[in-house]
Amino acid sequence: MKSDKGTYISVEIDGKRIQVPEGSTVLDAAASAGIYIPTLCYLKGLKSYGGCRLCIVEIKNMIGYPTACTTPVTNEMEISTKSPELQSIRREILELILSEHPYSCLICNDKKECQDFMHTIRKVTVTTGCNFCTSNGGCELQDLVEYLDLKDIRFPITYRNVQAVNNNPFYDLDYNLCILCGRCVRICNEERYSGVLAFVQRGNSTLVGTAFGESQIEAGCEYCGACVDVCPTGSLSEKMGSWVGVPTDSTTSICILCSVGCKMNINTKGNRIVNIGPRPGKRTEPDQLCIRGKFIPADITHHPERITKPLINKNGIWLEITWNQAIDLITKHFKKFTGKEFGIIGSAHDTIENSYALQKFCRVVMGSNNIDLSPTYNDLSLFKKVQGFQPVGIDEIIGFDTILIIGSNASVSHPIIENRIRKAYHHGAKIITAHSHLNRTHQFSNERIIYHPGSENIFLLQILNDLKTAQNIKFPKDISDALKLIDTKGAATATGIKQAQIRKITESLAPAKKILIIAGDTLFKSSLSNDNFNLLSNIYFALNNFADCEMMFLVDDGNRFGATYIGMHPEYLPGFLEVRNGAKKWSEAWGIDIPPVSGLSAEEMLSNLPGNNFKSLFLKGDLPNHEKLDELEFFVQQNMFITETSKYADILLPAYCFTESNGHIINIERNLKQINPAVHAPESIKPTWQILSNISQKLKNKSFKYRKTDEIYEEITAKLDLSIDKTTRKTSKPELSMPDIKIPGKKRKIEMIPEPDYFLYQGNSMSKLIPDLKQLIDNKGGKHG
Amino acid sequence: MSSLLNTLGKHFPECSKGDLIPVLQHVQDQEGYISSNAIREISEYLNISCSTIYGVATFYSQFKFNPPGRHSIKICLGTACHVQGGDFILSALQMEIGIAPGSTTEDGRFDLERVACLGCCAIAPVMMVDNDIHSRLSVIKLRQILSNYE
Ligand code: SF4
Ligand code: SF4
Ligand code: SF4
Ligand code: FES
Ligand code: FES
Repeated sequence: MKSDKGTYISVEIDGKRIQVPEGSTVLDAAASAGIYIPTLCYLKGLKSYGGCRLCIVEIKNMIGYPTACTTPVTNEMEISTKSPELQSIRREILELILSEHPYSCLICNDKKECQDFMHTIRKVTVTTGCNFCTSNGGCELQDLVEYLDLKDIRFPITYRNVQAVNNNPFYDLDYNLCILCGRCVRICNEERYSGVLAFVQRGNSTLVGTAFGESQIEAGCEYCGACVDVCPTGSLSEKMGSWVGVPTDSTTSICILCSVGCKMNINTKGNRIVNIGPRPGKRTEPDQLCIRGKFIPADITHHPERITKPLINKNGIWLEITWNQAIDLITKHFKKFTGKEFGIIGSAHDTIENSYALQKFCRVVMGSNNIDLSPTYNDLSLFKKVQGFQPVGIDEIIGFDTILIIGSNASVSHPIIENRIRKAYHHGAKIITAHSHLNRTHQFSNERIIYHPGSENIFLLQILNDLKTAQNIKFPKDISDALKLIDTKGAATATGIKQAQIRKITESLAPAKKILIIAGDTLFKSSLSNDNFNLLSNIYFALNNFADCEMMFLVDDGNRFGATYIGMHPEYLPGFLEVRNGAKKWSEAWGIDIPPVSGLSAEEMLSNLPGNNFKSLFLKGDLPNHEKLDELEFFVQQNMFITETSKYADILLPAYCFTESNGHIINIERNLKQINPAVHAPESIKPTWQILSNISQKLKNKSFKYRKTDEIYEEITAKLDLSIDKTTRKTSKPELSMPDIKIPGKKRKIEMIPEPDYFLYQGNSMSKLIPDLKQLIDNKGGKHG
Repeated sequence: MSSLLNTLGKHFPECSKGDLIPVLQHVQDQEGYISSNAIREISEYLNISCSTIYGVATFYSQFKFNPPGRHSIKICLGTACHVQGGDFILSALQMEIGIAPGSTTEDGRFDLERVACLGCCAIAPVMMVDNDIHSRLSVIKLRQILSNYE
């Protein structure tokens, strides 16, 4: 529908007179009058296609039966949607559609009785009727048959007899059930721009497929699952759901696997996740997820290797102990190592509530500021500085005319953000990509730069310098003096990017009115993070001289911003108050003296063992294998799985998955979002805050005691505003300085930043845990890189 | 294969998506058929996905996806030939050379295609091998004819 500002016209539908915006289709108009027209190929959010013809209507003075989804309304149009004649044609159309689809299920007399037994035989991978169909209950054909009251199908059934594909990771394909509605083809091409699916062949042999029948992986499928979400039949179906049955409940929550924080609907039956889709119940409507949100949460939640009881390490063998024993043991040891000898490393895949509890426990109960997140960022002050920039909304991305994306493999790290870049590209925005390797975003770019790995900062310097020379931008004196010293030849050798290419970029930036700089993770994971930040900020200010420029920082995990803001940091208390200056506020609030000295970062806690007098660690999640952990005197790990790191742990506690948790996160847009539990964790697992609370009680500490997650949230919000004010950001200029830019071309030390593993959950490698993901990653590296 | 990209660059300097069909025709002229490699190169050149190109190409009967054989057989299934048992001949032919229409024998000897009318209905059923018309076909004649083409 058009905006409400447009002109309205008057139409009559089934005798009802209504006003609708000009440009609406007959289908839109009917919907606004509350009139149902059956549809099949139509899907809100996709371009109408007019393929199934179920939505036919009669319009006065129009010959034939136009399709409602493609016909625009005109003034004084008179539409009829339900005449007996229409219904009978629709019935015939549906019969024809069904003649190519196993339909015994749809018109079966025993449908009702059958319902009770149907989930028992779902392991069969080829669907021949509703009993075997993964889509049963979610199938839109079932609804249509019901609506049109179809009792009999007079055409002989043609079973296509094409091979069903069940060796594809994450979802099965059985095109014997396909009714060629084209939703999957359209969403894959028009919304995801992945270009995997197409209609191939013609006439009777038309099918959905890929070039030369290559596999989905070979065709570059990104496993976003969008096609599965929109398919009205059982033709495309999630593997994980096909054995579980028809979902009975649906919970709206947030994916925390990356900082986008997509809304997800977790459809469940009993205490199991059936599937995850963008909308409750039915799977359709294209609000979208990526591979991680769509397919992975169910697999980790119900993973067979998950631990559910506290375990103690007896000479390399794990023995189950009770919670009381575990808490007693932990307390006994924690008593010995308070203050600087103790520390906590948490995960940015955790809620604000757990993060707050962890840091408060560390500070208040254990008297230590040794708190950090893993994986960590090199520049500890990064997030405080990032806060100086106005956050950019994910859906605002499409409104920029020029986007410069640097140092990011966003199609893997932040797929939904990258999807908006693709969209912007297709809407005519100019996209400039710069990265150390070829990646999928290059397909959606006007300028593609591939600089030598590790030379990010010099590349940024080249841009900054050229903005000064070519665009005549006035810089503060210290910066323009510094820029004078640049050895442009040396810089070009170091990055592999010639001056002419740099000029092309600055020339594309020059006419821009609205520029977005998207700064990837790799810029901040190196030891040059601070330099990179300063250079980027200088570029940002330079561009703001002639355009409206915004900056987006692609931080990694779902709650990275929230967890840092809430104090999971050795130098900052909640609200980014420095330990040195903010101790008073929080000392008062917590009724205890917080040591006014910064703690150790994760890196510092672990790398100098045992010389640094650091003796005891509580770890939430997993760490990359760290031999030094052996030097710890007492090490508690709370994690969903036993990992390589666990062999150094004295006690291993089970943990909740985010699908079972309740709490909040702050995403990349700095929006506060709520996580809701879709399933219950096994009863023998306790949430982190509760474990800490039990320990604190054992230690007779009165200032740390919680009974519910909500209590923590209330305590936080009483002291701290979590809804971050976005309007004032632009005015507070971040502090800037010029990094050391004397760059001799050859002598410079190159720091290689390995591509981070984006398939981690709380430090656990999901590709090790999920065979389908492993298959996918092992098979990649093909043409799409 | 990048010679293909070169000629594409020469003939279609605009690099526009609307050129897809002419590009496919050009490639077929050059190479005799559309290979999966060619689709990959066109995909890169025009920035259209392989699946979409394949989808478009398979929509038109003019495009072939197998390398042509040393000899091309066109078997007529037009009205007259159909009435005279053209589809019998086709079945026999298929059995004889072991391939379906639209493909090429493994040894590269024949490719097979069905056509709608060769314009000589009076002598139906007919087939054309390379440039020779063979008329009033029978299953027995078929073998003999084929043995003339190595
Ligand atoms: S999963 Fe996504 S990328 Fe793959 S075919 Fe479906 S829509 Fe296309
Ligand atoms: S696979 Fe599903 S969505 Fe795709 S065309 Fe067939 S029925 Fe429609
Ligand atoms: S884009 Fe990020 S938040 Fe959204 S589904 Fe994927 S991993 Fe989850
Ligand atoms: S819904 Fe309108 S033609 Fe399919
Ligand atoms: S029908 Fe076969 S030649 Fe005309």
